[in-house]
Amino acid sequence: MELNTTVTVDKENSVARVALDGALNTDTAPAFEQRLQAVIEEGYELTVLDMKDLDYISSAGLRVLFKAAKQVHASGRRLAAANRKPHIDKVFEILKALPDMAVFANEQELDDYLESMQARVRDGD
Amino acid sequence: MASVFSSFASRLILLLTLCSGLVVGAGLWLDYRLSRADIIQRVSQESEETIANMVADLENLLDGVEGSTLFLGRIVQQRDHEPTVLEELVRDVVENSDDIYGATIALNPALVEDPLGFAPYYYRRDGLVVSKDLRQGDKPYWQRPWFREAATGGEPRWVEPYFDKEGGETLMTTYSVPVIRPGGVPTAAGGGPEPYAVVTADITLADLQGYLQRLNLGSSGFGILLSRAGVVLSSRIPGQIMHHYAEVVDPTELPFWQQLIEQVQDGGSATGRIECPGLSGRCVVRMGALQSTGWPVGVIYSEDELLEPLRRFQRKTLVVGSLILLVVALAVALVSRRLTRPLSALAEASGEIAHGRLNGRLPTPRGEDELAQLIRSFAAMQTDLKAHIERLEQATASRSRLEGELAAAREIQMAMLLGEGEAREQLAGLDLWAKVLPAKSVGGDFYSFHLQGRRLLFSIGDVSDKGVPAALFMAKALSHMQQLAREGLPPAQRLARLNNLLVERNRNYMFVTLCTADLDLDSGQFEFASGGHPPPLLLRDGAVTELAQDMGPALGLSSGLSFATNLERLEEDDCLLLYTDGVDEAFNESGDMFGLERLHTLLSRQDSHDPEELGGTVFQAVRAFSGEAPQSDDITVLVLSLRDSSEPRRLELAAGHNLVGRTLEWLQGQLAVSQAPDDCKRELLLVAEEIITNLDRYAGLEEGDTVQVALAEEDGELCLTVTDPGKPFDPLSEGQRAELGRDSATAGVGGLGVHLITQLSDRQTYRRVDGRNILQVYKALPV
Repeated sequence: MELNTTVTVDKENSVARVALDGALNTDTAPAFEQRLQAVIEEGYELTVLDMKDLDYISSAGLRVLFKAAKQVHASGRRLAAANRKPHIDKVFEILKALPDMAVFANEQELDDYLESMQARVRDGD
Repeated sequence: MASVFSSFASRLILLLTLCSGLVVGAGLWLDYRLSRADIIQRVSQESEETIANMVADLENLLDGVEGSTLFLGRIVQQRDHEPTVLEELVRDVVENSDDIYGATIALNPALVEDPLGFAPYYYRRDGLVVSKDLRQGDKPYWQRPWFREAATGGEPRWVEPYFDKEGGETLMTTYSVPVIRPGGVPTAAGGGPEPYAVVTADITLADLQGYLQRLNLGSSGFGILLSRAGVVLSSRIPGQIMHHYAEVVDPTELPFWQQLIEQVQDGGSATGRIECPGLSGRCVVRMGALQSTGWPVGVIYSEDELLEPLRRFQRKTLVVGSLILLVVALAVALVSRRLTRPLSALAEASGEIAHGRLNGRLPTPRGEDELAQLIRSFAAMQTDLKAHIERLEQATASRSRLEGELAAAREIQMAMLLGEGEAREQLAGLDLWAKVLPAKSVGGDFYSFHLQGRRLLFSIGDVSDKGVPAALFMAKALSHMQQLAREGLPPAQRLARLNNLLVERNRNYMFVTLCTADLDLDSGQFEFASGGHPPPLLLRDGAVTELAQDMGPALGLSSGLSFATNLERLEEDDCLLLYTDGVDEAFNESGDMFGLERLHTLLSRQDSHDPEELGGTVFQAVRAFSGEAPQSDDITVLVLSLRDSSEPRRLELAAGHNLVGRTLEWLQGQLAVSQAPDDCKRELLLVAEEIITNLDRYAGLEEGDTVQVALAEEDGELCLTVTDPGKPFDPLSEGQRAELGRDSATAGVGGLGVHLITQLSDRQTYRRVDGRNILQVYKALPV
């Protein structure tokens, strides 16, 4: 079981989108942790974990997410998850993981959220 | 000592010294033996001469005395003389003969007017000749032995020695001559005629002693002289004189002396040996008798003393011999050292060479002798050896590089095979094991298997030849075959396609025999196609049968071929064995082939249908059969056994690297053939990962420990059992769990995992048995 990670960055809105494809487990967690750390250290306002193609997650994988969430929150930024498959959702639920993490059920919800965020930024100007 | 004799020089010295010592010794010994005989003869001759001289001297003395006395007697016999004339005669005799001590003319008193007779006696005293009248004295002179014996005997005689107190007043012996005139008056006793007178001459024993003392027979040699009656006249010991010999000798030696003296009194001589009186060693006694008087005379001398010259000669020979030996040994040592010095140097240098120090200096060869030749040969050898070793080092380096490459090639090739050359797959209702043993480091045999839903696709193949070309062709065939299997083609079509692919660019005309098959795990339908490969063996109810097959040609030689499909239905507990000809065509040292019959017999004897056990038995039998013969071909065996699907499938895992990955890989395979819904499978997989991750991180497993994972499907639930020899640990107890929500960011992986284990399975049990943790989780299948 492998994990492919794709990172796309929207610099204008300071949003990083990390797409996970495969399994985030004991095997793949260490490499993913490094990759995610690198993204977080860039200091984007929002980091979205796109789990559309994530088939499998274990506690080892969740730990990486916990750690990343804690870091992001500490610096006043945000970490969100999108497109969780039901069985992935189940794992999150069981572990009561990241209750304060924004969760987007689908692309539409995510897009809406981004739109509102951009609006806030504009209003702020 | 061993070190001394191990040296050639030492041995040479020793041997040469021994040899020359033997030669010198033999020469000296021979010389000694010859000289000894000479010396002994000379000594004995000398002693004999000495004795003869002494005897002759004594005889001369006695003859002289006898002659003078007889002459005097003749003068008296011829006519009567005036007393003064007689006295004058006697005096003349004494004065003119040094040997005569005293003399007398004693007239028979019966024939003279004077009744007292007439007997003037002249003798020496203090260098002067003095006279004495024998008529004086206690006893008339005619009654004294010297007169009476001669008068009655009528013959001249030597009188036994006596002390002449009336005459010479010394110890003496007297020669008495009766003077009998023709027509003389017979004696009154009626014997011969009365003598007119008795004429005598005396010799002192001291004079006799003087003669005997002239003997030169060593310091302890001496002469003895006895009277006729055996009285000692002369001896070395003065006390013995005038005693009978029987009184003075040792009583134990008396018979010896008696015998000796008896012998000589009969004339002739005698020799004997006794203990030396007063000396150590034996003494020689030589005796004879004087002719004139019949007195036994002899000499006693120490043989040892006489042989002293011989012993001096012995000592001299010994000293000379030792000196010669010493000189020879020294000379030999010097010469040998000089000759063998280059040899020692060569030995030392060759020792250096033998220890690999090829730059050791050899001695410089001098001249053209054998040693110089040897040194030159050694020098040549040293140079050649150096060159040879350099070449060898290069060759070894390139060979080890080649070997390293071959080993890498083998690794790569084996990596292409599932399980890297030996694989086992246990699925619900199926147990499969396969192994390749290449003849050379890389080979041409292969196997492959692949699960598609409830269908197992597998192949076994054998590329012609072996080694690197076969391995490359095998790689080609294997990768094509795996590709074709994924495409979902049935076996006969797979073969046809593979054949066409292999024919392309096959310039070496390599080919492969191959059997590929599909097994439906639910129905037991077994479909297979063969390209020149031996048919699979079916083990059913203890019998071994070859499956009937419609076989096509080997693959890779000509394109456009088609292959027949063979069908068979397998049942529970059936076992299939596929093999390559490396099994039946294995040879032993005598060139016999293992053969199919042996394989059938071997398989029919096996009770177990465990594929690994069965396959291992085949490999073992082939190896035992081949003995020391090298493996001539790759050997491959694939065993497949069908069984009850509810039986748990087990996996033994060695603790260590990628324990989680290995477990999940196996479990995925197991679950792939399960009828369970995908959700169930996924969740059980997650549970397994959490369990094994926990074990891997916290159970303290050591190298060599094994973890057992088993999966069973029974009574509508899946049961996963994990057994480990780690620290006692019950993951189900409350204390092991992380508090969710709050500390999830800092919680240990295990603490979170336990939540997943309990939430994603329906029930869990934990036991600790025989030092092992046994954790079982059950997951119900939806009805």
